[in-house]
Amino acid sequence: MRHEWKFPFHILFHPFDGFWDLKYENRGRMRVAMVILLLLVVATSLMKQFSGFLVNYYDPRYLNTLDDLMFTVLPFFLFCVANWSVTTLMEGEGKFREIVIATAYALLPMILINIPLTFISRFLTNEETAFYWMLNSFGALWFLWLLFVGNMTIHQYTVTKAVVTLLLTVAAMGIIVFLGALALVICMDMYWFVYDIYRELIFR
Amino acid sequence: MRTKKSLVLAAIMSLLVLTAAPAAQAATPYEAYTYNYYADAVALPAPFLPERIVNGASLGVGDFKLPNDLYIAKDGTVYILDGGNNRIIVTDANWNLVRIIEGFDNNGTRDAFGNPNGIFVSDNGKIYIADTDRRRVVVLDGDGSLVKIVENPQSEVLPDNFEFVPLKVTADPAERIFVVARGVYEGIMQFNDTGEFLGYVGTIKVQPSLADRIWRWLATDEQKSQMVLFIPTEFSSVDIDHKGFVYATNIDTGSSETIKRINPLGQDVIKRFGHYPNVGDIRYRTVGSDSGPSKLTDIKYIGDGMYVVLDSNRARIFAYNDEGELLYAFGGRGTQLGLFNTPVAVEWQNGKLVVLDRGKNNIVIFKPTRFGRLVHEATSLQYNGNTSEAVVLWKEVLRLNANYDLAYLGIGKSLLMEKKNKEAMEYFKLGMSRKYYSLAFKRYRREVMQEHFGAFMTTVVVLIAAFAAFRIARRVRPGRSAGHEA
Repeated sequence: MRHEWKFPFHILFHPFDGFWDLKYENRGRMRVAMVILLLLVVATSLMKQFSGFLVNYYDPRYLNTLDDLMFTVLPFFLFCVANWSVTTLMEGEGKFREIVIATAYALLPMILINIPLTFISRFLTNEETAFYWMLNSFGALWFLWLLFVGNMTIHQYTVTKAVVTLLLTVAAMGIIVFLGALALVICMDMYWFVYDIYRELIFR
Repeated sequence: MRTKKSLVLAAIMSLLVLTAAPAAQAATPYEAYTYNYYADAVALPAPFLPERIVNGASLGVGDFKLPNDLYIAKDGTVYILDGGNNRIIVTDANWNLVRIIEGFDNNGTRDAFGNPNGIFVSDNGKIYIADTDRRRVVVLDGDGSLVKIVENPQSEVLPDNFEFVPLKVTADPAERIFVVARGVYEGIMQFNDTGEFLGYVGTIKVQPSLADRIWRWLATDEQKSQMVLFIPTEFSSVDIDHKGFVYATNIDTGSSETIKRINPLGQDVIKRFGHYPNVGDIRYRTVGSDSGPSKLTDIKYIGDGMYVVLDSNRARIFAYNDEGELLYAFGGRGTQLGLFNTPVAVEWQNGKLVVLDRGKNNIVIFKPTRFGRLVHEATSLQYNGNTSEAVVLWKEVLRLNANYDLAYLGIGKSLLMEKKNKEAMEYFKLGMSRKYYSLAFKRYRREVMQEHFGAFMTTVVVLIAAFAAFRIARRVRPGRSAGHEA
C-alpha cells in the first residue's frame, strides 16, 4: 500500500530500474497515475493563479481551472492513444495500461518542481527570475527524459526506435486532432443539411 | 397603493439619473481610448472637446483652398499655409486676422509662392516655407521681407538630375534647416544657415519581408531587374523641440519606428519604453474599411517630452509622453464638429489642440477637458521631476478613470522616491510595470530582511538542528528505514 505511492519517487532517480519493475513486476497502479495527473492540474492552476507578478504572464481575466483540467487531461490521453496506436504497429510490447501509467509517472517532476517554484517565485526580483525559468525548464526536461526512458523500457525499444516512435507519436497526435476536427465539421455540415431541408419543407 | 406609487416614482427617477450620466459623454462624436497592458483599447473620458471652427469666411479672407500646413508660434500667433491660394494667413492668438502674405520682394521683383506644402516659424520670428512647385525653401522675416532662398542644392551625394521638391520644413536654433523632400529616400535633407546642403539625417532602414526575399531568391535576373526596388519610405513631417532635436514621422507600414526623434548627430533617439511601439494604433482590421496601420502625417512636439501625432488613415490624434507611452487617442472621420475629413496638420496653442482639415477647408480648435488637462499637467510635473506634486493630479485622474495605467505608474514612482516600497509595489502591480515592481520589491525585501534578520537566522539554525537530529535518530534506530526501497 505504502510502496505503490513511493514507487513514482523511486522512478524519478532510477528510471531504467523503475520502469522495468513497472512493467515486469507489475508495480504501477492506475489510481496513482490518475492522482498524479490530477495533481498536475492542481499544480498548473496554482501556478497560473499564485506565481509571483514578475513571472506570471497569464492574463487573470482568462484564468479558468476547468480549462486547465481540459488542456491537461485531454492532451495526456491523446498522447497515450497516439502512442499506443504507433507502438502497436511498431512491435512495441507495452499495453495501453502501461503506457498510461508510465506517462503519468513521468509527469511527477513537473509537479514536484512547479509547486515549490510557484511559492518561491513570489520572493524573486527581476534578475533572479532567470533561476525560475531555469528550474521550470529543468522540470520539463526531466519529464521528457522520464517519458523517453519509460517509452523505451515498456516497449522494449532501442534508443533510436524510441526517439522515432516518440516523434511519430507527436505526428499521430496531430493526425488524430485533424481527423477529429474533420469528422466534427462533416457532422456539422450534415446536421445543417438536414436542418435546411427541414426548414425548406416547413416554410413551403 | 402609496408604496406602489412611490416605487414607480423611484423607478422613473432612477431612469432619469441613468440617462443623465452619459449625457456628458455623448457630447463628443468620437471615442477616446488608450491601450492597456494587454493591448486592448480601453475607453477614456474625452481628453479634448471641439471648441470652435475657424475657416476662411470667419477670418474674412475668403475660403481656404487646399490648405496644406499650419504653424503656431510660441506666443500663439497662427500661420495658416493656404496652399491652393498660394498665401500665408497670419492671425493672432485669438484668431483675429493680422495680415496675409501673398508674396515677397525678391531683389526688386515681386515673387509669389507655388503650391507651398510646409511652413515653420522659428522662435525669432523667421518664416520658413517649403515652396513645393517652385522647388525652393523661402525664408522670410517676421515682416514678410525676404531673408534667403534655399534652392538647387549642390553636393556629390546628389544625382546630377536631382530635383529639389520640398514638402515640409523645420529649423533649429542654429538656423540649420531640415527639409522633407519628395522622392528623397535617404532621409531628411539638412542645410546650414547659409543654405548649403550638409547631408541627410535620420535614414530609414529597409527590411524586406521574408516573402519578398523568397520571391527575390526564386526570380531570374531579368525578373529581378523589373522588380520594385526595396526603397525606404519618405518622411511625412518634421518638427523640432527646444533642444534642437528633430521629431519626424514617416509612413512606413509594418515598421515600429514610424516616429523618430533625431539628435544633432542624425541618430534616432526616441524612447520606445511603452508596452507596445509608439506607432499610433496597434489594433486594427487588416482588410476592409478603416483597415491597416496608422499613417502618421504630422507630428507636433508640445513640450515636457510630450508629442502628438496625426493619423491620416483613421483621422485620429495620438499623444505620447517622453517614454513613448500612449497618453490618449481620439478622433475619427465624419462631418460632425470634432471629426475630420482629411486632417493634414496638428498644432498646439497654449494648451489647446488645433487641427487643420484640408478636406473641410477649416481649422478645428479643441479645448482640454478636466481629464485632458490633468493628464498633461501630471505628465509635465513628472517629466520635470516633481513627482510628489504629480501624485495629487494622478489621484484626481484615477478618480475620473480608474483604468489609467500611467497614473498608477506615476503614483508608484513617487512612492518609490519616498521609500514607501510596499505601497509602491501595489501601484506598480496595478500599472503593470514589472521593471519598477521588481525595483520596489527588491528594496522592500531588503527592508524586511534587515528587520527580521534575527528571527530569520534563528529559524534557519533551528531547522538545521532539527534536520541533524532527525538524521542522527534515524541512524540510531536503523530498523525503521529497512526495506524501504527495493
